[in-house]
Amino acid sequence: MTIDTQALILTLKLAFFTLLFLIPFGIWVAYRLANMQKGKSLLEATLALPLVLPPTVLGYYLLVTFTNVTLFNQPLTFSFTGLVIASIIFNLPFAIQPIQRAFEAIPQDIREAAQCSGLNPWTAFKLIELPLAWRGIVSAAVITFAHTLGEFGVILMIGGSIPGETKTIAISIYDSVQNMDHASASGMSLLLLIISLLAITWSYQLTAKKRAA
Amino acid sequence: MLKVQLQRSTGFPINIDFECAPGELHILVGPSGSGKTTALRSIAGLSDVTGLIQCKDQVWLDSVNKVFVPTHRRSIGFLFQNYALFPHLTVLENVSIPLLGRKQSSSDEALRWLERLRIVDLANRMPHEISGGQQQRVALARALARDPHALLLDEPFSAVDAPTRQNLYEALSELRQAVSLPIILVTHDLNEAIRLGDKITVIDQGKSLQTSDPHHLLDKPRNARVAELVGSPNLFEGLYEQGRLSWGNRGLSLSVKDKGKIKKPTEVAWVIPSHSIEIVHSEEQTNSYKINLIDCTVARVRQLGQIAVVYWQVNGCDDQIIWQASSSELRRLGIEVGAKKKIYLDPEQIHIMPIKFHLKNK
Repeated sequence: MTIDTQALILTLKLAFFTLLFLIPFGIWVAYRLANMQKGKSLLEATLALPLVLPPTVLGYYLLVTFTNVTLFNQPLTFSFTGLVIASIIFNLPFAIQPIQRAFEAIPQDIREAAQCSGLNPWTAFKLIELPLAWRGIVSAAVITFAHTLGEFGVILMIGGSIPGETKTIAISIYDSVQNMDHASASGMSLLLLIISLLAITWSYQLTAKKRAA
Repeated sequence: MLKVQLQRSTGFPINIDFECAPGELHILVGPSGSGKTTALRSIAGLSDVTGLIQCKDQVWLDSVNKVFVPTHRRSIGFLFQNYALFPHLTVLENVSIPLLGRKQSSSDEALRWLERLRIVDLANRMPHEISGGQQQRVALARALARDPHALLLDEPFSAVDAPTRQNLYEALSELRQAVSLPIILVTHDLNEAIRLGDKITVIDQGKSLQTSDPHHLLDKPRNARVAELVGSPNLFEGLYEQGRLSWGNRGLSLSVKDKGKIKKPTEVAWVIPSHSIEIVHSEEQTNSYKINLIDCTVARVRQLGQIAVVYWQVNGCDDQIIWQASSSELRRLGIEVGAKKKIYLDPEQIHIMPIKFHLKNK
């Protein structure tokens, strides 16, 4: 049994960069959505699309969109940069929804009390709203992380299976099965399962603590 | 001086104006959905209305000149109905928040406020660890900490038990001795308004109907709706003509002080304060009063502990006069169901008002 450490490290790197870009962006979008009065249904539906679209469909559209597009002189198809962008897109609902729910759960009078205490919108956000939404943010980060580890369809469509560049652990498991190396597939699957289970358990514990508080 | 003139013509129409002097406790009273909370929130900049709001020398809202100062730049202290303490911050941090950005240490100043409101021992506790009454004091300390130009209290007594209410009455009373700023309090409880307020504005269906001191409001409501809202027990209708008030349709007539404002025979509403209703119990009194003596029969007596409410059926019309007395006075005057007495209504105290619409339940 061999664990594809190169794929494991690449997967963790992908999850890290996804979180690095997606969480601040997710906080911003979720905050705007939570405070939006009208016309947010269409926007919410668009952002939730990755939840319902088959990954191959999403991957196909991204492949079509990314073909012949470069970023920092890097092509977006079959490259790590493209993988990060795709990962950010397919994780949008997993990051935004928990944060949005957390912002929406802050009572209106708490927000107004911040304003009445003389806090400008940025300071009120920093000192009151963000700390009150932190459980939602952590939860979003954990789910995004776990989801990135296991994503297969989109990654395969946009990145293929280039070792050290686009071959994530989920792809490596697939390749092992194709090569009849069930021992390696089983080991890596178990590893993914444990990591995902731990991450989700931690996230659920946080939510449970919030309910109890 | 806090000057408030609010208008809104779309949605729920608003037409409210009043003024509140420094040191004055001004109560906005009215039924649920009357617009009193909207008025309070507008002063804070939390509701969308047009008009003019001035406090001290600052203009917070001037729709004509397109001035709107956002909430965080208005120097207000706002006590929320459910306190709205920041749940993730300690008591001290809650009170320090409005003091951020000051030159002196915000926590030293916050501690001073906690001392003034006698809750300094709670400084390091979290909001969920303290009682409702203590939370309210913390919220009051937070509202006062920024040294506001106006203090706004949104139904502070509605969600609290009796000891907490007493606690806040005391805190308010101490506060009024310590600081001199306009205080606006919203309530739907008229008894509370009369007990606490220097001035009361009655608000109904988005309009301010009358602003006056509590006793004037009770004795001389501006119109029948105000009388109804302030719960005047003896509110009737009649026909007024040159100092005479025809009551009912069987020829009963009362003398009223003629202020010369009403020239033609006019349908009016009228009230008489409870303290101006006198039960005549001697021949001597009957002879001395001569006018406005009405024959009445006791229709019902309701005992409420030490006091009793007596419903007098007026002979000659369908109305009943409601009169309160102590149980011992009832015994002394021999008042029981079926007893017949004369009642004197002081012409100076009969207050006549225009009828905008006919009274309900009359």
